[in-house]
Amino acid sequence: MSAQKQLLIIDDDPDFVDGIKSILVKANYKVDAAYNPKDGWAALENKKYDLLLLDVMMGRGAEGIMIARKLGKDARLRNLPVLIITSIREQMAFLFPGEAVHPHFVTVDELVEKPVEPKMLLDKVATLIKTAEAKAGHLAEAKK
Amino acid sequence: MATTVTFSREIANLLHAAGGEPVSSCMQCGTCSGTCPVSDFMDVRPQRLIRMIDAGLKDQVMATRSFWYCASCYQCTVRCPRGIDIAELMYGLKRYTIWKKQYPEDLIGPAFSETFVKNIVRTGRSYEPVLATSYFFTLGLKEMLQEAQGATMLMLKGRLPVLPARIKRLENFKRMIKRIIPIGDE
Amino acid sequence: MKKFAYYPGCSLEKMAQSYHLSAVETARMLGVELKELDDWNCCGATAYFHVDELLAHTLCARNLAMAEAEGMDLVAPCSGCYKNMHACNAHLKKDRDLAEHVNFALEEDNLHFAGKIKVRHLIEVFAEDLAAVKAKATNPLTGLKVAPYYGCQILRPRKFEHENVEEPQYFEDLLGALGATPVDFRLKLRCCGAALIITNREAALSMVRNLLQNAVDSGADVIATACPLCQVNLECYQDQVNAQFGTNFSVPVFYFTQLMGLAMGIPTKQLGVGTEFVAPPPAMLAACRKTAVV
Ligand code: SF4
Ligand code: SF4
Repeated sequence: MSAQKQLLIIDDDPDFVDGIKSILVKANYKVDAAYNPKDGWAALENKKYDLLLLDVMMGRGAEGIMIARKLGKDARLRNLPVLIITSIREQMAFLFPGEAVHPHFVTVDELVEKPVEPKMLLDKVATLIKTAEAKAGHLAEAKK
Repeated sequence: MATTVTFSREIANLLHAAGGEPVSSCMQCGTCSGTCPVSDFMDVRPQRLIRMIDAGLKDQVMATRSFWYCASCYQCTVRCPRGIDIAELMYGLKRYTIWKKQYPEDLIGPAFSETFVKNIVRTGRSYEPVLATSYFFTLGLKEMLQEAQGATMLMLKGRLPVLPARIKRLENFKRMIKRIIPIGDE
Repeated sequence: MKKFAYYPGCSLEKMAQSYHLSAVETARMLGVELKELDDWNCCGATAYFHVDELLAHTLCARNLAMAEAEGMDLVAPCSGCYKNMHACNAHLKKDRDLAEHVNFALEEDNLHFAGKIKVRHLIEVFAEDLAAVKAKATNPLTGLKVAPYYGCQILRPRKFEHENVEEPQYFEDLLGALGATPVDFRLKLRCCGAALIITNREAALSMVRNLLQNAVDSGADVIATACPLCQVNLECYQDQVNAQFGTNFSVPVFYFTQLMGLAMGIPTKQLGVGTEFVAPPPAMLAACRKTAVV
């Protein structure tokens, strides 16, 4: 088993961040948190992460989508697995009542809606990291 | 593990892209309250609201109505000697309460904004009579009669449209919106 | 000939049709072409910024991109629309990430924002060529005392652009060029209450009352506005102000373009004069009668 995995949460809700952070730390992850998109992006640029947990509605609006799209265009960060955790449907319920969340046009690996159940969170995180590592392994192989 | 994020930090996060100075630079000079035309109708005037945010009094700030009474006149913003964009802050607080659904039930502001936005998303244009009827329920009987009277007068003078307008390339427009707000079938 | 992409905005479609009519007629007289932007959408008013600023910028950017495609600066007669579009233009030019994201959305309508045009308010366009206005004002509004009401969003919040947002003078100058007498209207920059007329009636009516009182005190026969929201708040709610405060206001409120049109001898009907709630004052009626003969 490799070293402790390093995760980043970008979410504007401090209570929510506290919650999932403690779940993840107990499961032996190292976790950083950024509470706005600007700090979040700075963290991504300065440090290497194994997974990003990303909120959608922050700052001016659905800025999580902006970050996800920007990641997709970044050569270094393109392969970082992203787990979107959002309550956008609730936040914007008045606008599109009962309709599904659909960020089809951005490549995110998974999307779950708040509130998140701890076991599911840990499963998803583990699976996403594993898949990403396997993919990176293949790429390295192919290069050789 | 207790959070280390104060309420004033939370608000700063909300305004991470705005140009003004942080609320912590406020020197409590009172210019904003003095210049605000709505001040007399606010339960908490801008100057005090800023101090409450800076002091991290989240529950108290959330309980006020003052930012929903802000008319976006920008008088405070252009006059604040410390360069705090107070009007932008008021927008931020409105957003914050809408996303969290944390506003006093009897406020008309949030319902009005939501109705307004819904209508534009559907048609590309805003439509006054629809707006009028959809917030009727939030008014008392007296105001409702006044409003109906006003609307009828405008109608008689030919100043209210009979049919809602809509833009031509509405389908493109709706898809455009879905690229910004990722909700709805695709 | 000056040519602009003209963005009427939702209010001018009907509620402020007299503004629309008089704007178009006056511009024609001055040799300014206002070409209505095809398929424009609502600027989002203030409501959009209450909910989602990214969306608000996208809405404005669609209009800006369409004007860019036509290669013309955009002109808005409504101060609210003007402020939104002006702010969006400035914002997107500075924030490249935001512009990229907004452009991603605009692709759905085959549009692109590049930040190549300027956003102007109609009154600025007319006020920057006073000589032209004067030359056309063949039916001067002599003796008409006018309160120039700027309101908020023509000027604010642009304090960072080295403009005089505290003591502007161009509205007065424009009225002067029409032969009218601008009065010293102390509250000329004070807010009309805007959307509070719906969301906080009590506050808005009191704000309207203060403005009406100040206009009367300053000896004005009529208030001139450059925004449909201001016009409606100041004119259409006078009854309610009177009921609320036991006052007796009956102050005519016209668009500056209607006054311009009259001074240029354009027939009243083409200026939408006649759809107002409070009739024009005598000095204006005299001018109205003359246009019928011209
Ligand atoms: S004007 Fe600015 S510095 Fe003065 S009290 Fe208001 S926010 Fe503080
Ligand atoms: S922008 Fe809002 S808070 Fe500031 S002066 Fe105007 S109404 Fe008051």
